[in-house]
Amino acid sequence: MLVCLALIAAQLIWMGVFLARLDEQDIRDGWMLLFYNLALVDAIMLPLTVAVLASRNGEAEHRGMTFKLLETLITPARLYAAKLCWGALMLCALLTLRTALFIALGAGLHFAGGVPWGTWALFTLISWAVSMMVYALQQALSLRFANQAVALIVGLCGSFAGLLSMLFPMWVQRCMPWGYYGLLLLVGMNWNETTHVTTFFWRTPLALDVGLLVLWSAAFLVAGFALFMRKEE
Amino acid sequence: MPIIQTQGLCKRYQTAMRVDHLNLCVPEGSVYGFLGPNGAGKSTTLKMILGLVHPTEGTIQVMGRAMNAKNRLDILRKVGSLIESPSAYGHLTGEENLRIVQTLRGVPEKDIGEVLQIVRLYEQRNKRVAHYSLGMKQRLGLACALLGYPKLLILDEPTNGLDPAGIQEMRELICSLPERLGMTVVVSSHLLSEIDQMADHVGIISEGKLVYQDTLSALHEKSRHNLALRTTDNAAAQAVLAGQNVQSETEGAYLILPMLCDEAVLDIAQMLSAHHLHILRLEERQTSLEDIFLALTGKAVSL
Repeated sequence: MLVCLALIAAQLIWMGVFLARLDEQDIRDGWMLLFYNLALVDAIMLPLTVAVLASRNGEAEHRGMTFKLLETLITPARLYAAKLCWGALMLCALLTLRTALFIALGAGLHFAGGVPWGTWALFTLISWAVSMMVYALQQALSLRFANQAVALIVGLCGSFAGLLSMLFPMWVQRCMPWGYYGLLLLVGMNWNETTHVTTFFWRTPLALDVGLLVLWSAAFLVAGFALFMRKEE
Repeated sequence: MPIIQTQGLCKRYQTAMRVDHLNLCVPEGSVYGFLGPNGAGKSTTLKMILGLVHPTEGTIQVMGRAMNAKNRLDILRKVGSLIESPSAYGHLTGEENLRIVQTLRGVPEKDIGEVLQIVRLYEQRNKRVAHYSLGMKQRLGLACALLGYPKLLILDEPTNGLDPAGIQEMRELICSLPERLGMTVVVSSHLLSEIDQMADHVGIISEGKLVYQDTLSALHEKSRHNLALRTTDNAAAQAVLAGQNVQSETEGAYLILPMLCDEAVLDIAQMLSAHHLHILRLEERQTSLEDIFLALTGKAVSL
């Protein structure tokens, strides 16, 4: 719970500082700016947050040595699925709360146009889906290795990769699970070198990227599940 | 009918054979002591019986049913277990930990209070497990295993890390279970004295192989009584005894004779004296359970 609140607080502070510097012209593109920058912040912060959530979920069992007890009561498959459901619900609650707060922030700052409810719903869904793909990877690592440093280091590297991947060509981004926060952006940006003017525009994520996200998620789920099933107590 | 029966049970880790063609037979209603030196394969065997480790070879039958992926959870509903160290969430209280097991096992809520009473942990039920002593954690582990009053209880080294008072308490508790709750108990230990005080059947495992399996009383019968005799000339005395059909073996400075009645001992004394051989020492000796264990396993026993 504290991890989730810490993430929301960090994102609010980050975006608060950013939005405080906006002029009237920027405010007109307020919602687009918010979506664009929030995706950037997600790419930096969510991989580590997801890693910590998954790690807490797995560590409780490793520390209490409860796998050998639980696996005499339920099937390993059910246990794995239950852990995944917990992660899905936590991320859903976290991202819904985050969305509500940023909608309130945007409305409070009187961004031009009404609240783009549909775009917010899609943005939240994309954030959740990408986070779930990362969660599937992190859960696999956290349940497989009792030493949580392994999973947390991967999460930390993911945060760097998520940020840096936006600087690389699309195909490199597609090869990095953490790059999908940027790949599935709902807002694009053009920067004119001569006028030094930045313009934002709405964009639809490519079907290919959505498909690849599903493939990555499936790969992590299958691999993590197989690793967990093969693990002996 | 045996409550647990294994046939040719094996577990191989790469090249190391941890459990080697084990044919275990645990009679229903018994306290079965599973004894062996550290690393002999006791925990691996018990984990295989519970389905926590996959056997490389062999079959397991529990309560007459084959232990496989299909039957496993159904069988385990009637089995309580405490494997190695107790499993518990430190941030939860003892009662909360039991509630998790109670929910997953689908047993009545009233069982929680009852098992807490049985393991004498009722007063500490609202304390966080992180603040429990090792003995209390072991008793909580036993309480988890007892929830739902299973037919079979599998306890792997349940007295590990306990102080002498805790060991005594745990031992009394385990011994009382078959009569009190009608359970069959399988308890493993590397301590012979512990098994000797708890079990009525015993299986001894060494380097993955079952080297002995029978009732504890049969093992005790193996602990023979002998006579140890030391004379002024053991070699000559042995020849005289052989002439009278009394077999003896040399063991250090002693001749070891079978147990004899008082009259036979008197005869031997007179016969040796007639040959000018004087008895320096005569002792009654017993082959202890430790000696038998050592002979079976080739490893020193922990007392």
